[in-house]
Amino acid sequence: MISSIKQIPKHALLILLCAFAIFPLYWMVISSLKPLGEIFTPSMFPSAPTLENYTYAVNNVPIFRLTLNTLIIASVQTVAQLVSAVMAAYALTRWEFKGRGLIFTIFSLTWLVPMQAIMIPNYITITSLGLRNTMLGVILPFTASTFAILSLYSALKSFPKALIEAAVMDKLSEFSILTRIVLPNIKPAMVSLGILLFIHGWNEYLWAMLVNTRIDQAPIQIGLQQFLSLERNEWGALMAAATLSSIPIIALYLALQKMIINSFVKWGIK
Amino acid sequence: MSNVTIQNVSKAFKEVTVLDTINLNIQDSSFTILLGPSGCGKSTLLRIIAGLETPDQGKVLCDNKDMTKVLPGDRNVAMVFQNYALYPHLTVYQNIEYGLKARKVKNPERTKLVTDAINMVRLEDQVKKLPAQMSGGQRQRVALARAIVKRPKIFLMDEPLSNLDAKLRNVMRYELTDLYSKLEATFLYVTHDQIEAMSMGTHIVIMNKGIIQQEGSPKAIYEDPDNLFVAGFIGSPPANILSFEGYDYSFAVRPEHMILHTTHEEHISIFGDIVSSEHLGYEAIYNIKTSIGNISVKTPNLWDNISNATVEVCIKMNKIMAFDHSGERIRDPQHHAYAISVFKQVILDRSEFLEGVV
Repeated sequence: MISSIKQIPKHALLILLCAFAIFPLYWMVISSLKPLGEIFTPSMFPSAPTLENYTYAVNNVPIFRLTLNTLIIASVQTVAQLVSAVMAAYALTRWEFKGRGLIFTIFSLTWLVPMQAIMIPNYITITSLGLRNTMLGVILPFTASTFAILSLYSALKSFPKALIEAAVMDKLSEFSILTRIVLPNIKPAMVSLGILLFIHGWNEYLWAMLVNTRIDQAPIQIGLQQFLSLERNEWGALMAAATLSSIPIIALYLALQKMIINSFVKWGIK
Repeated sequence: MSNVTIQNVSKAFKEVTVLDTINLNIQDSSFTILLGPSGCGKSTLLRIIAGLETPDQGKVLCDNKDMTKVLPGDRNVAMVFQNYALYPHLTVYQNIEYGLKARKVKNPERTKLVTDAINMVRLEDQVKKLPAQMSGGQRQRVALARAIVKRPKIFLMDEPLSNLDAKLRNVMRYELTDLYSKLEATFLYVTHDQIEAMSMGTHIVIMNKGIIQQEGSPKAIYEDPDNLFVAGFIGSPPANILSFEGYDYSFAVRPEHMILHTTHEEHISIFGDIVSSEHLGYEAIYNIKTSIGNISVKTPNLWDNISNATVEVCIKMNKIMAFDHSGERIRDPQHHAYAISVFKQVILDRSEFLEGVV
């Protein structure tokens, strides 16, 4: 009894934090259902819910195409990051070689460089490669992730050496050891890292906006931006499009809820 | 079946010398034990033979062919690891089969080899299990089968029983001896457990600080140690090492070569007080404080309540081993006789209770 009374302040705090987290989403959804005249009123429920914002949004911006683009960009980026990170982390943990410490330090240091600082050099590189306004141009600078390398480095560091040696004695090639012995046994770490990378890829906005202005190659975030202009902001349509674009990621979350929470706990980030 | 020759092998890790110019010939079809305290270099030597480590200098020859640069998978050796090192995501059957698949052994030969290996370690009813579902003893059998299936000329075993409980270790010792007689291969076995060494080995190599201290049959190692290290390492408890200030000699007597409070003919005897006793069943180990230092004595258990009692320790004269000031065994009979007379003199000088020497 006493312990449940003690729980009250804790739960009250958690409910409050939940409300903070959920309210913007709730506001997005109800705003998308409000008719044009009501959008700036603080009413918590639309007086006459309407889908006109949705029809307007769908008719003006290729939302489905853009969502598909985002899906492609986030997926390719995630796979590329996982592949490059696994190879780098495996090399760094498997062998003692000259310059290993230096390479590791350089990797770690690049994590400290803010994205904004390398945006312009990346922009110039992508432009001179002729990849502006392509999905590849959006993906390319993000095919390697320091975060992914360091995460897998620690996962592989604790991988039992005897298992690898047993595979060496079994005459497996180095590539087979990585793909058939190591990878199957770090699958949970790979999956949870993959989820984090995917969410990060899905939310990337700034770089995509900079390098890509062609609507058919752009991720959904660029589409949302179309409703904002100097003359007027079409909030209703923006909210409708935003609601639509968040459906896939919410669906993914519901499907993998447990794994996502585990991965957040595992890598110790929010 | 294969003999291995180690020539001048040295190895250091970050300037710490682990192996210092090792020369060793491991005989064909022997069950050779590398025995020594932890950090003596025995595991490193095994790993060099496996090819998992490269020696800083020296060669590993297998049937007179230089293997030093050959990859581990091509050396015709199989290794059993201390913590089994089974692939966690594969079943027992797949674990055993994996090395053959990597070597591109085709069916039906592959199936036959795997089945034979499984039968040999008696795991017929466990083949579909994952390693995590098995006990330590069963896992170690899988690890053995994984080695057996490759039909290697040399089996390398790195403390394979040290993760098992004492009872299971006894069973596995017996099974390993049995496998050795069936397989007709060379076994090279690393351990720090002298019971394993004595009970299974046909040949024992004792190492300390990266140097081979003595090699020979279990009998030779026990009865005829070359130096103080071996005398003080082998035996349970090991030989009493007695050295006296001002004298150049050291002496060793095994606890089992002394008897308590019996007639003292043919013995040199000394009185002492029992400090502690450890009952092992048939035998007991007594720690006795004497004028030449504390010594341990292993005798048939007296069971009597004799703690703190004064007893007479009789040392068998012909079992006293003498060593020179550098710790090497004195082999010359005259020198030995002289050293023993020194020993007697010391005891005479120090013991007012001396009953006499015959």
